[in-house]
Amino acid sequence: MTFDFSNFINNFPILAIMSLFLGAFVSSLVGRRSAKVRNTVVFLSMLISLVLILALIKPVLLEGKIINYWLGNWEPVNGWAFGNSLEVDALSLFFALIVVVAVFVSGVYSFFYMSHDDSLVNYYTLFLMLSGSVLGLVLSGDLFNMFVMIEIMTFTAVALTAFRNHYEGALEGAFKYLVVGSLGSTSVLIGIALIYSQMHTLNLAQIAAMLPGYDSPVILIAFAFLFVGFGSKAFLFPFHPLAADAHAVAPASISLMISGVLTKCGVYGIIRLCYCLYQNMDQTFVQYFVTGIGVISMFVCVTMAFNQHNFKRLLAFHSISQVGYVITVIGLGSALGMSAGLFHAMNHTIFKGLLFLTAGAVQHATGSLDLDELGGLSKKMPGTCALFLIGAASISGLPPFNGFASKWMIYQATFQKAGETGNFFFVVVCVAALITSVLTLASFIKVAQSVFFGQLNLKFANTKEVSLGMRIPMWILAALCILPGLFPDKVQQWLLTPATQAAMNAPGYIDAAMGSGYAASFAIPAYQPQQIFLSGAWQPVMWLLLLISVTLAVCIVALLGGDEKATVTSEISADTDCDPKYDSFFSGEASVYSQVGGSDLFWGFKHNWRRYFSFMHDWHSGVVNDYTLYGTAAIAVALVLCVIFL
Amino acid sequence: MTTLLWTIFHVLVFPGLLFCVVVGLLLAGLDRKLVARMQNRVGPPLLQPWYDFLKCCGKETIIPRHARRGLFLAAPVLGFAALITAALFIPVFSYSVYSTSADLVVILYLLTVVGVSMIVGAAASGSPFAGVGLSREMVAMISYELPFVLVMLAVGRMAGVGTPLGVTFSLQAIVDWQAANGNLLFHWSMIPAALAMLFVIPCEIGMHPFDIAEAETEICEGTLAEYSGPPAGLFRLTHCVKMYVMCALFCVLFLGGISTGYAALDALVMVVLSVVLTFVTMSVPHAVCARFKVEQVFKFYWTVVAGLALISLILVWLGL
Repeated sequence: MTFDFSNFINNFPILAIMSLFLGAFVSSLVGRRSAKVRNTVVFLSMLISLVLILALIKPVLLEGKIINYWLGNWEPVNGWAFGNSLEVDALSLFFALIVVVAVFVSGVYSFFYMSHDDSLVNYYTLFLMLSGSVLGLVLSGDLFNMFVMIEIMTFTAVALTAFRNHYEGALEGAFKYLVVGSLGSTSVLIGIALIYSQMHTLNLAQIAAMLPGYDSPVILIAFAFLFVGFGSKAFLFPFHPLAADAHAVAPASISLMISGVLTKCGVYGIIRLCYCLYQNMDQTFVQYFVTGIGVISMFVCVTMAFNQHNFKRLLAFHSISQVGYVITVIGLGSALGMSAGLFHAMNHTIFKGLLFLTAGAVQHATGSLDLDELGGLSKKMPGTCALFLIGAASISGLPPFNGFASKWMIYQATFQKAGETGNFFFVVVCVAALITSVLTLASFIKVAQSVFFGQLNLKFANTKEVSLGMRIPMWILAALCILPGLFPDKVQQWLLTPATQAAMNAPGYIDAAMGSGYAASFAIPAYQPQQIFLSGAWQPVMWLLLLISVTLAVCIVALLGGDEKATVTSEISADTDCDPKYDSFFSGEASVYSQVGGSDLFWGFKHNWRRYFSFMHDWHSGVVNDYTLYGTAAIAVALVLCVIFL
Repeated sequence: MTTLLWTIFHVLVFPGLLFCVVVGLLLAGLDRKLVARMQNRVGPPLLQPWYDFLKCCGKETIIPRHARRGLFLAAPVLGFAALITAALFIPVFSYSVYSTSADLVVILYLLTVVGVSMIVGAAASGSPFAGVGLSREMVAMISYELPFVLVMLAVGRMAGVGTPLGVTFSLQAIVDWQAANGNLLFHWSMIPAALAMLFVIPCEIGMHPFDIAEAETEICEGTLAEYSGPPAGLFRLTHCVKMYVMCALFCVLFLGGISTGYAALDALVMVVLSVVLTFVTMSVPHAVCARFKVEQVFKFYWTVVAGLALISLILVWLGL
């Protein structure tokens, strides 16, 4: 009897999810005895799911196979799907890859980062349940299953946010997340209930087949509820204040999960909703609606980040700003836009994860996240500083890092859309994207200056670099920041193109689950693969070679032409320790501590925008009632808009 | 082998390192001379920037106690290299070396890298003056970015109208379009954008009325406060070369496509145009205006200059 590997591979998705959930229960059973056993269980369960998902790359992404796993072997009968299923196409797998890599890095980092905390059994149990639920969500082929996973995800994330409940504001942040997060979940549930009442099925593929031809205002209302619900999971405007409160107090490894993985679930939900279920992305209203939400999130959050003086709160706002980019280009409805969005979603997980981990390292080493108080840590923590600079350059989109590669595609996508449709709205979108990028750069310059450079606060004179175990996960992410930036064409070829085509290929998704010809029987036109055109050109490797050769040329010229007397001297090589030559220049005054705090940098910019900032300050009141109100208002507005225009 | 030699020639001689440095230093010397003449002074000799640079190279490099040694020394080299790389991507009229492998966004970001390397160098020096300087440099960067982006999109739309995508970011496409349809400067709807670009040039370089980041009388050279020796010389050189690169970029965007057919003659035309642009955009404002305040620079660029660029963008979008 030969072993049929291609059939066996169908079990991989469910095994990957089970491995994480099983790990959660086993680690809580054995973990109280010994920390070593617990960590081994956690590590193994993460590793197994990582390996299983990686093993699916070849069949799903490269060979285009769509895996269907019917739980309990309840396959569809007479065109009706009763059973629960997992359906893994290239899009699902793309997000699953993001999830498992982020989970693995975050888990390994946790082993060292959380070592000083107690009741770690609870931490790892919740952590693995969170991971499992997110993986379950992106692999699920069933709408109700998605909701169950969203619920597990939200509640474990709330609990983990408040895990360090001795922190000021930890319970408050978790409470806000709980209340407004439940609002989002409820919205999803209402949407699902409405769809079920009309379609009498919960299978994604079957709904996708029946919905486009179905004419009823109920499904429009369902669209509004589902969109707002998934949007709230991605913390899009106006749900963004939640993320800031949650991130500021959550452990850094959990911040990585919330920003890198949970928000991606929202993004995944929106893609499935608009491209697969409703297939209404070609309607101008939907494009305006999705892109508009993306642009507002992108711009409002980057300006909000400007005003923050808590390291992680600042990162939280940037996180939503970057997700805003993703939603913006996904809303364009073009293949290039989808590619750019997926690429940026992936890159966002990588660089934002890296930045959150460096923030965690700073907090671990100094106990503070206050940008007005920190400063000069680059001498104490050179490794973390270098990692931070890589992350900051990536998120600001500087070449040759990955952020540049994806942002470059985003500009192309928005500008091309504007060119094709002749619509000025998309020009505004493109300008907003470019300006948001420079504002992002500015606020990371602010962080660099007020945490790692500038003068050292005497309070932190005894700071030590964090352990190697914490730096290795960060270096993994840093390497992932650089590689896609250098070889974007390979990423495009292996990951993005299959995922993009899968996302836009609704009939393929339907037929894979329900049997071929099912989509055609509901008059859904067959999918024509879309070409991706780029209106510019960018060859990173060549650019890098040029840069290196120029740098070498400069160095050689400097060495050849250098004067014998020209020497580099620093305190180390000097004869005396207190030579005033090496002091900072103070115009002849006595040297004093005069670090410009993070809040006071970029005064010239903030002064001109003071009315906007004061409005925003009042608007982000920090009161959970207000945030719930904004959420409810968002649902109401979405309902009205969808019913009128859709 | 020939390709390799040509690459080396391009990187080191023309249009790379040597050409940029020579022209950049020439422009800087001319600028100083012209400003001096306008202010009824004799002014330094034309080769003064050369002498300054060479003198810096012979001096000791002092690394302050609070500085991060590696970054402090690497930042000037990286910034300079990024700038020369940007210059390689800009076609000198018909003579384009790597212009097919880059586009406007890449140029924009390479120029950003130059600014960022200056900021990182300043931050790594650990000086409070540099801290103020870098924050001002960043505000200046935000200020000119908006009009720059608007100009870029206006040009990209104008040159891309006939193409299947309707827009283009490619410098080569922009040059080709101008070769076929005449210079963009002489299309009336693009004149506001060209004006805006003329304003962007001095701020991007950090020339006098907009030199808030260096402001030697206020914050002791700001970003450069702690630099000495060859790194300081390299930063000054970057500043000079940037003058040429920005002028060349203007020429490509608004005067591209014209060609004499001889590369050497094209280069000469480029130098002459750069001199004219330097006079118009840098020397005259330098001689006439006092330094702006930080918040004034921001306001000016986001209202007046961005407004000009926006007019062009809208006109172009309406098909005019």
